[in-house]
Amino acid sequence: MTVTAGEAPSLSGWRTYVRNLWRWREFAWFLAISNLKARNASTSLGLFWWVLNPLIMAAVYFLVFGVIFDGRRGDADFLAWLLSGVFVFNFTATTMTSGANSILANRRLLVNIRFPRLVLPISAVIETGVGFILSIAVYYVISWPANGVAPGPTIVWLPVATGLHTIFNLGLAALTARMAVPFRDINNLIPHINRLWLYLSPIIWPLSLIEGRGGWLEQLASINPMFGLLSFYRMALMGRELDVAAFLTALGWILVVGAGGIISFVRHEGNMVRHL
Amino acid sequence: MKPPAVSVSEVGVTYRSYIERVPTVRRLVARRRLRRSVAVAALDDVTFDVCQGETFGLVGDNGAGKSTLLRIIARTMRPDQGSVTVRGETSTLLQLGAGFNPELSGRRNVYLSGLAHGLRMAEITRLFDSIVEYAGLAEAIDRPLKSYSSGMLSRLAFSISMHLLPDILLLDEVLAVGDAGFREKSLGAMRDMLMRGGTVIVASHSLQMVEEMCDRVLWLERGRIRGLGLAEPVVEAYRQAPPVTAG
Repeated sequence: MTVTAGEAPSLSGWRTYVRNLWRWREFAWFLAISNLKARNASTSLGLFWWVLNPLIMAAVYFLVFGVIFDGRRGDADFLAWLLSGVFVFNFTATTMTSGANSILANRRLLVNIRFPRLVLPISAVIETGVGFILSIAVYYVISWPANGVAPGPTIVWLPVATGLHTIFNLGLAALTARMAVPFRDINNLIPHINRLWLYLSPIIWPLSLIEGRGGWLEQLASINPMFGLLSFYRMALMGRELDVAAFLTALGWILVVGAGGIISFVRHEGNMVRHL
Repeated sequence: MKPPAVSVSEVGVTYRSYIERVPTVRRLVARRRLRRSVAVAALDDVTFDVCQGETFGLVGDNGAGKSTLLRIIARTMRPDQGSVTVRGETSTLLQLGAGFNPELSGRRNVYLSGLAHGLRMAEITRLFDSIVEYAGLAEAIDRPLKSYSSGMLSRLAFSISMHLLPDILLLDEVLAVGDAGFREKSLGAMRDMLMRGGTVIVASHSLQMVEEMCDRVLWLERGRIRGLGLAEPVVEAYRQAPPVTAG
């Protein structure tokens, strides 16, 4: 096995990489589960926090944007709208944060042991994905009795939505991980990016708020991948009508961010250790 | 003759390091850059082979490039110039407690470390009892790692490394810690390693140990090879050399 300076990954190199990823699959899973356990090991409620956290977050958003700002604007399903939006968005937001941390938090592993580095952002996505699946359960527990939004036949699209969403998140996690290694500043920036992105997406406000307002608001809406992704999720979860144009835009983003993030990460992984 | 276990060829590594300047108003107004980056050569044109079954020592002052060289051989880092060829599996003890998570139990950490090395769950389960016994941890293995002493940590790390049955074992100053009993044990383990034809590369400041254990020694000074050859003369020359001040 020879490692040479400035080696460019070839097609056969990629095939080997994928085979190695498969060999390290148990590691990705075990690391994710271990981190889930470790995070709340010292709290008395332990794993229960994974349900409690999204619940409290949803309650705060409902109080502020639903009640105080009256964001409901006559939407009978506002709670379901808010919860689905917050939980879906939170999956992306938390993967960006833990993706950026995934390399730095495991620096000792990286320095000592040779393995495909992409395992670390993958593990970060698994870790946050478990929380997301729990929060989908929380969504039904609340919105079914409150808004009467029962799981309908459209729920068959939920695994598709989650799959696409996971690819998007993996690309983002790989991108933030790769950037956070030389530029630690990214960790300070991510929470602000996430907050802005949350407010610019149809999560705490209904679509009717921006309809027909034109200008940059609508232009921004037409390029924001969250519009299409959320539309797809809400079709699956709430039986809403799918905004096909927005969904196709989102699909484009998913492919670009997913592939781009992974390729950029793998191309730079040989240089990561020197920044640790 | 057997091909060498490790061939390092014209390897160079340059780190970028920043010199911070105090941000004075004048500098800010003049928009001068507050950080200037300088290139520091950690390794410069390093070429050598390590034979199979050899115990190979690395000596040099702090910052001479020993750890960087071990990272290059472990191939966790890619060199800027040159290439490294390694025949066989390497196992590394470069920094103590490799990949250990202090919040988790010793048991989980054993699995985590084994999986990171590319072992399967089932293989680790098969080795588990033997790893715990070798580390002398008994029921402490189910306690969180943060409750371990540094001796316990190093015993666990060493035990895992030995059970991976590597062809090449890379050690970075790991023998300095741990109690005397453990040192004896680990020296014995390294002998076992050599008995079955394995190669050991060890970076250490304890020159006496290097002299006793190693067949050959490489002496690094500011990233360059200053000496290479049989252990005793190289270590002796290093001992005699005046200390190098940071350049």
